[in-house]
Amino acid sequence: MSLTLFCLGAVVLVPLLASALSVLLGSVARRVLGVITSAAVLGLSTPILVQVTSGQTLELALGGFESPLGITLRADGLSALFLAMTAVVGAVVSCYAAARPASTGKRLVPGTPDRDADKQHHRHTEPPGVWRAGHAGFWPLWLGCWSGLNAVFLSGDLFNTYVGLELVGLTAVALVALGGRDAWPAALRYLFIAVLGSLLFLIGVALIYSVTGTLDIIDSGEIITGLAAEDDADLAAVVLALCLISLGLALKVALVPLHRWLIPAHSSAPSAVSPLLSALVIKAALFVLLRVWLWVAGPLPELAILAWVLAGMGAAAILVGSVMALRQTRLKPLIAYSTVAQVGYWFLLLPLLLDPETSALEGQPGTTLDDGAVLAGALSGTVALALGHGLAKASLFLSAGHLKDLYGTDEIADLRGAGRAHPMLVMSMGLSAVGLIGLPLSLGFSGKWLLATSAVAAGHYWMLVVLVAGTLFSAAYLLKAVAPLLVMSEDDQTELTLPQAQTRPEDPTLTGKAQLAPFVLGLLTVLTGFLGVWLTGVLEVGAPW
Amino acid sequence: MMPLSVALGLAGVGAIDLSQVQWYLLLGTAIAVIGMVRMLLTRDLVARLIALNVTGIGSLMLILALAARTAESGDAAGAGDGTDPVLSALVITGLVITVAFTGLGAVLIRRIEGVQDVEGPEDTKDSGDAGDSGHFNGSKDAEAEE
Repeated sequence: MSLTLFCLGAVVLVPLLASALSVLLGSVARRVLGVITSAAVLGLSTPILVQVTSGQTLELALGGFESPLGITLRADGLSALFLAMTAVVGAVVSCYAAARPASTGKRLVPGTPDRDADKQHHRHTEPPGVWRAGHAGFWPLWLGCWSGLNAVFLSGDLFNTYVGLELVGLTAVALVALGGRDAWPAALRYLFIAVLGSLLFLIGVALIYSVTGTLDIIDSGEIITGLAAEDDADLAAVVLALCLISLGLALKVALVPLHRWLIPAHSSAPSAVSPLLSALVIKAALFVLLRVWLWVAGPLPELAILAWVLAGMGAAAILVGSVMALRQTRLKPLIAYSTVAQVGYWFLLLPLLLDPETSALEGQPGTTLDDGAVLAGALSGTVALALGHGLAKASLFLSAGHLKDLYGTDEIADLRGAGRAHPMLVMSMGLSAVGLIGLPLSLGFSGKWLLATSAVAAGHYWMLVVLVAGTLFSAAYLLKAVAPLLVMSEDDQTELTLPQAQTRPEDPTLTGKAQLAPFVLGLLTVLTGFLGVWLTGVLEVGAPW
Repeated sequence: MMPLSVALGLAGVGAIDLSQVQWYLLLGTAIAVIGMVRMLLTRDLVARLIALNVTGIGSLMLILALAARTAESGDAAGAGDGTDPVLSALVITGLVITVAFTGLGAVLIRRIEGVQDVEGPEDTKDSGDAGDSGHFNGSKDAEAEE
């Protein structure tokens, strides 16, 4: 077995093993193990990305068992890109959480604050206990979640995709619950939505299996294409399956109007968890959606209505999410609504898939692309937007969570002038805002450019309107979030007040190197903008056209 | 598999011939839809969790019926011999996941309602036994097992 194939298996199994191992360790050892594991995953993902970039898809049947009963791992361009983004964001956030254990949640310690053991039962303690910052349960849960994410990205068949999605969903719910008493109702609501989405996905998978007789993604795609080519093709089951899968995944990805659960879950989660949820967990569902629509279903004309409905919901998401973001007065809910708005962009490409003919503006220079290029451009635009969102949103949520821990509040009005005391945090917020708005140089800009070019080439001009409106809206709400932090308070003499600060402001972890984490991610958001063309090339590896 | 004609005793519908597989497909769909509707409409947390379980059972039943159908039509590897093993494996994994999410949901509900029990009496008067503060600690243990 070659090195890269070893990496393919290890990138899923190493975090899982570390997750199981960390349960046995103390809280300091867990932090060390977490950082070592994230470095290992970063190291293991690199050969996969290099190999795939060189134009080769990787495939590994675990334990030598071939399908249908074995588990196949497969890496193509789409997998490698999402895997790499997850490795980068995951590693940076892990380092942040290790440097600032207080950011991993709150735990209830019974009795006096001296005692560390929280396993004893105090049935009549008054008050019931003391909330202390930091929850070592973060590490097993996050490492398990990471393993699930990698499993989703590398899975070669639909059923292992389902198992990976469930692992991601359940660990994500538990991660939200680390946020303490306020976060529990949000976590429970998230649990209901995540499981309902998975069940719908599972029914869809079973329907596809009953039509094609295989769970393998590529094989079932070929069989469905073969069926569609027949004259008396009966594809009702496939269409129903796609409806159920899309509905289930739209629930998990929080597409408007199914987005209500996301705001409390993402904004009440601990500082180190919100970036993971918003940047990575949602991407797992998006990845599966792209897989199913592009690899399994292919461009069936019967799916046109569904594609338009989803794209309409995407456009509505951009509008509703942006307007609601503008109405927020607190930083974390505002960023959560911005996620809702950004989700909309990723659904716009679906009508393009079914109608990729370059009909419009024949002969005009710069507006014609051949059919494959429309699809490739739309897909790489969407993927660039999703990856850029992952980097930028992780940075934004980390900075916002850090400010919240620092000042004990995330009311934007109370944080006025925070940029003077913490320039690096506000700088990273600015950089990630550049990425989310899609200003030139950032990955978000490349994504919007690629998507818009393909839309024009295919004659879908409505998409330009949506993209421009979304850009203006996101500029508005991000300015609303970032600008007050830069403005000096009116009477310059008063220091920024620290209302009910939960953590001591002299806490060295709050002012130390942990601030570098959001800055690194913010910088990456802008620097990766140069990768637009490379991205299109990588996505060609193992593409369905 | 012997086709079984089932007369639906619904008023106005009359007798519809359904094979056994179709009957189970319908039943599974009905259970899943009923569970889903209940889950979305009720506010009681325990009822929601149970409704989610009902949805899960309905969808697993649907998949089992599909397994029997696939085996009947002879598409899959295990054709002509009872049910399709791949889909049955799917159902078993689905059951395991059902147990996992039920446990997690139960822990969360116990914590949330434990908080309400504690906070309720404290607001009105300082009663002797203000709820069950052991909830938090007990559920921590349960979560560690996840």
